[in-house]
Amino acid sequence: MLPRRRRAGSETEPLIVVGNESYWSQPQPQTLQDLNSTYANDVPADHYLEEDYIDDFIDPEPVMTARDRTSEFINTIQTLQGRSIARAVAVRDPRRSKVIQSHSEFMLVARNIGKNIASTYAKLEKLTLLAKRKSLFDDRTTEIQELTYIIKGDLSSLNQQIAQLQDISKRQRQSSNGKHLQSHSSSVVLALQSKLATMSTDFKQILEVRTENLRHQKSRRDQFSQGGLPPPTVASNPKGSLLYQDQDQVSINLESTELIPKQQSQMQAALMYDETDNYLQSRAETMQNIESTIVELGGIFQQLAHMVKEQEELVERIDTNVQDAELNIEAAHAQIVKYFRSISSNRWLMIKIFGVLIFFFIFFVVFLT
Amino acid sequence: MVKLYCLSILYKGPSQATWLKSAFELQSFSFFQRGSVQEFMSFFCKTIVERTIPGSRQSVKEGEYMCHVYVRADNLAGVVISDHEYPSRVSHTLITKILDEFSEKVPKANWPNLQERDVAFPQLQTYLTKYQNPREADAMTKIQEDLDETKIILHNTIQAVLERGEKLDDLVSKSEGLSVASKAFYKTARKTNSCCSFS
Repeated sequence: MLPRRRRAGSETEPLIVVGNESYWSQPQPQTLQDLNSTYANDVPADHYLEEDYIDDFIDPEPVMTARDRTSEFINTIQTLQGRSIARAVAVRDPRRSKVIQSHSEFMLVARNIGKNIASTYAKLEKLTLLAKRKSLFDDRTTEIQELTYIIKGDLSSLNQQIAQLQDISKRQRQSSNGKHLQSHSSSVVLALQSKLATMSTDFKQILEVRTENLRHQKSRRDQFSQGGLPPPTVASNPKGSLLYQDQDQVSINLESTELIPKQQSQMQAALMYDETDNYLQSRAETMQNIESTIVELGGIFQQLAHMVKEQEELVERIDTNVQDAELNIEAAHAQIVKYFRSISSNRWLMIKIFGVLIFFFIFFVVFLT
Repeated sequence: MVKLYCLSILYKGPSQATWLKSAFELQSFSFFQRGSVQEFMSFFCKTIVERTIPGSRQSVKEGEYMCHVYVRADNLAGVVISDHEYPSRVSHTLITKILDEFSEKVPKANWPNLQERDVAFPQLQTYLTKYQNPREADAMTKIQEDLDETKIILHNTIQAVLERGEKLDDLVSKSEGLSVASKAFYKTARKTNSCCSFS
């Protein structure tokens, strides 16, 4: 049975970890006095002590199958939390210690990401070397594909990690970090992102170079395989003339002369056959053109109809306006006619009144003198 | 300038090609050159038919002429010699068409043995003259031309409609002015009428 190990370190008990190492490593029981003096915090010393004593009594195994790795454990915990703890301890303020710890965890994650970026960069360089080879044979396609796949996975995981880092920095920003810390973390995130971006652009360039090379290789291979038809016969001819002696040379020469034109005609045939495809393709293209033109025309007609419909409204407005104008003018005309009549009738009355006045004037003048 | 020079039908025998019918359009050459040009063209047709695999089309550029040849699977071949600007699609359509007509008219059994004198196929000459202008003769090009024309006309129409819109706008504003003026006129008339008596 493995001896139970207490958790030796915790955030609230730094002193114990640092101070008790030597005591813990010794399996012998200690005086209560000494142990009590070292436990300065709220955890009761008896708690720890009893357990160990019990352990020692319960496991009186003659052969120790378990190793005592407490010291290693304590060392590991120290290294993991050492720096942050020390600084937190130095500050002696719980809030700032928390801040510093979160910042340090941010730093750890950032360091991890940086390491990953460096390793991915090394892989990318290897891929560059492989992709730049221009030889026709000796093509390490599988390697290149594997590397590409690995690098792609790395880039995506790096992306995720940087996103996580950004989240952490955002969270820390909310827990009211100092302005310098915030700007520092944001600049770190930015630097990592830019590094990742440059790496992805390099990766893309490498892939493009690789496709170019593949195309070159294919074209060169096609050239060689096309021209490869006569060379084999030419190659075989000297062999034939060497192997077979004079009496067979004539027949072989005839054969070779016959072979080459046939291959040439075959090559020509291979060239000639495209024509039908071209013809059919051009017909299909023309039909497609016609179809698209017709569709376009349909659209134009629709637009035309729309515009005419819109203009119909204008025509209606003009119509209404002109009708209004006509009404007004008719009414005004009537008014003026009335006025005229009234004026003319008024004059008649005036004449009458004046006539009467003159009559009276004359009457008075005549009768008075 | 698109031009067709020669239109001919041949039969591609196992060892050589036999002439079945041909039509030439050599007005562009001077009188003395015509004979040699015709000979050259016929020789060229024959050679190229012999060199073509049955069931394929080919367009060969030769000097300043383009030669389009189509050898059908049943070894009936048609050749068109034109200048460079003649669209190859149209020439191949033409060849297919005349080959179809020819095979309908002349029974197949006679092909290997025919002499040129015996074949009566005047349509060849008519086709040659008709297809001098590929735009009119070929159905697809014709449709395309018509459609393009229609498109231009429609563009002009839309332009005219836009102008009409502007004019209508103008009319609207003028009629509004007229209406307002007439209203003012009516008001003034009414005012003079009702306000005061003759003074």
